[in-house]
Amino acid sequence: MRFVTERLEDVLAAIVTLAVGIFVVTEGSSYKIGTLSQMGPGYFPVILGWTMIVLAVLILVASRPAEIPMTLSHRQLRGMLFVAASFAAFALTIERFGMVPSITLTVFLASLANDRNTLVKAGLLGLGSALACALIFRVGLGLQIEAF
Amino acid sequence: MDQLLQNIALGLSVAFSLEGLLYCFIGVFLGTLVGVLPGIGIMATLAMLMPITFHLDPNYALIMLGGIYYGASYGGSTASILMNLPGTATSAVTGLDGYPMAKQGRAGQALFMTAIASFVGSIVGVILLAGFSVPLARVALRFGPHEYVALMLLGLIAASVIGSGRSIRSLIAVSLGLALGLVGLDLNSGVARFTFGQTVLFDGLPLVAVAIGLFGLPEIIASAGRAQTPKVQSDKIRLRDMLPTREDWRRSAMPMARGSGIGAFFGALPGTGGLVATFVSYAVERKMSKHPEQFGKGAIEGIAAPESANNAAVQSAFIPTLSLGIPGDPVMAIMLGVMMVHGILPGPTVIQDSPDLFWGLIVSFVVGNIMLLVLNLPLVGMWVKLLAIPYNYLFPVIVAFTCIGIYSVNYQIVDVFVLLAFGFLGLGMRALNFEVAPLLLGFVLGPMIEEYFRRSLIVSRGDLGSFFDRPIAGTILVITAAIVVWAIAVKTRAALAGRGKPVSDNG
Repeated sequence: MRFVTERLEDVLAAIVTLAVGIFVVTEGSSYKIGTLSQMGPGYFPVILGWTMIVLAVLILVASRPAEIPMTLSHRQLRGMLFVAASFAAFALTIERFGMVPSITLTVFLASLANDRNTLVKAGLLGLGSALACALIFRVGLGLQIEAF
Repeated sequence: MDQLLQNIALGLSVAFSLEGLLYCFIGVFLGTLVGVLPGIGIMATLAMLMPITFHLDPNYALIMLGGIYYGASYGGSTASILMNLPGTATSAVTGLDGYPMAKQGRAGQALFMTAIASFVGSIVGVILLAGFSVPLARVALRFGPHEYVALMLLGLIAASVIGSGRSIRSLIAVSLGLALGLVGLDLNSGVARFTFGQTVLFDGLPLVAVAIGLFGLPEIIASAGRAQTPKVQSDKIRLRDMLPTREDWRRSAMPMARGSGIGAFFGALPGTGGLVATFVSYAVERKMSKHPEQFGKGAIEGIAAPESANNAAVQSAFIPTLSLGIPGDPVMAIMLGVMMVHGILPGPTVIQDSPDLFWGLIVSFVVGNIMLLVLNLPLVGMWVKLLAIPYNYLFPVIVAFTCIGIYSVNYQIVDVFVLLAFGFLGLGMRALNFEVAPLLLGFVLGPMIEEYFRRSLIVSRGDLGSFFDRPIAGTILVITAAIVVWAIAVKTRAALAGRGKPVSDNG
């Protein structure tokens, strides 16, 4: 067990790689493999998958005790969640509501990723950048995205 | 010679057309603008601004994209010098001596020398690019699929093994990239692979979304959570205060020349690029200097050499990309991707078939670098002011621009989700100490290498030994094998030397 905890980072990396490798091999095998002189769509993926499996084993073999992987701070977690939410919000609203409402929401959410931005500031920044974006991209560059 | 003059005249006519100048300027301007912003690296800059270029004629799109690239590498050093907050790994080296200089009140001289060194390096790189690409492409025209497979393999292996402390992890990243490149319809058989029945994936994963996700999103998230940006050293800079002393010039001249040479060499090699070049040139200068103790405390050589090396590498990286169609680093992979989006098949035929594109691009590099000299010397104050914008207001706007940019490429919402997915992939990889650059390289080269690999084995009726029957392909493969053996040897020696001690750069 100490072997695993001391090498946690490498062990995790190896497990993930192994899983991806096995997936690529199984998925690749479901296509026609063919022969070396007449390769089917499955040939190359299977080679790749096996390469990854071998490399995963190599990571374990070459693994030496290392420091525990970095932990996520509260601040980073907040940043990650809000930035991700803002991208998702853009994707979900842009076609239905148009650029101004969508960008307002996107920038509002993104602003909240930083704990120094208050709700009011975030709202104002959102509205301001939405109007600026509409002017630049809709009016200026003529992109095919409706303002509303 | 006549041919060369004719080509340059053709290039001049493209680069000096109204659109040529305009898009070149927009490119270098935006590149510097985003490059100056701390925490936003060249890859993120390029990925963010790339969508704009899709609406242009390919000639101008490449001119603008090139401008963004070398513009960002000029701008990247500003924050590095003034705030010790490098946007890119390459400008981190500049900060080693640039930030101490700024603290001593010599920020102006540091910025001035940076601009000059960048210019010198770029011009050396462009000259080599103009000189070497044509003969190289002529040789490459005789390449068959075997040679291409060997070259791409060399590129991928070199990119993973050289300049990375964790070769196995980089090789995994490359393999993952190659696998992700398989998503979509197989060209030969028409079978949909790894698409899970989703028709939107039939064309493959969108390159732009993948690139912004991998490089841009983690950078945005990292800076979004940042508490406070460091104080800007010397917020007012006038051109008058910037002029370096005679002593500065004297000390910088040779480092610049050496830096340019080192940079151009490493830039042209597949898989190494600017990062290795900057570190090597810095190390060389410290070795050669009569007063190595000044390095790290504000030695001007420590700015001149890596800056010229970096920019020379930026330009010479175009040599394999334009003449062979094989990108040496992820930035060039994006360039190649853009060429393909525009329907240009990268490879040795580009120089012959579209001389206006090739020579227009080369001349525009010179034009763009002159523009950058103007943008970065008299107007440097403008960029410095930009650094004063509080970061917590800036990054939400960057998010908005990124969203609009990515959506406007195909007007497909799924692209935004692909971006998010790859953003988290990038974060996860970073958390486990994987590099994402090799992944992107693999992703772009994946479909090509598979295609050539299949073709080469059809030609040679399934005989793998045929790779070694052909002198060029065989030589390249031997070099590739030598790199692998060398990497294993270095690793083993380090492991034996460090036995019993916890070492962090394994795997």
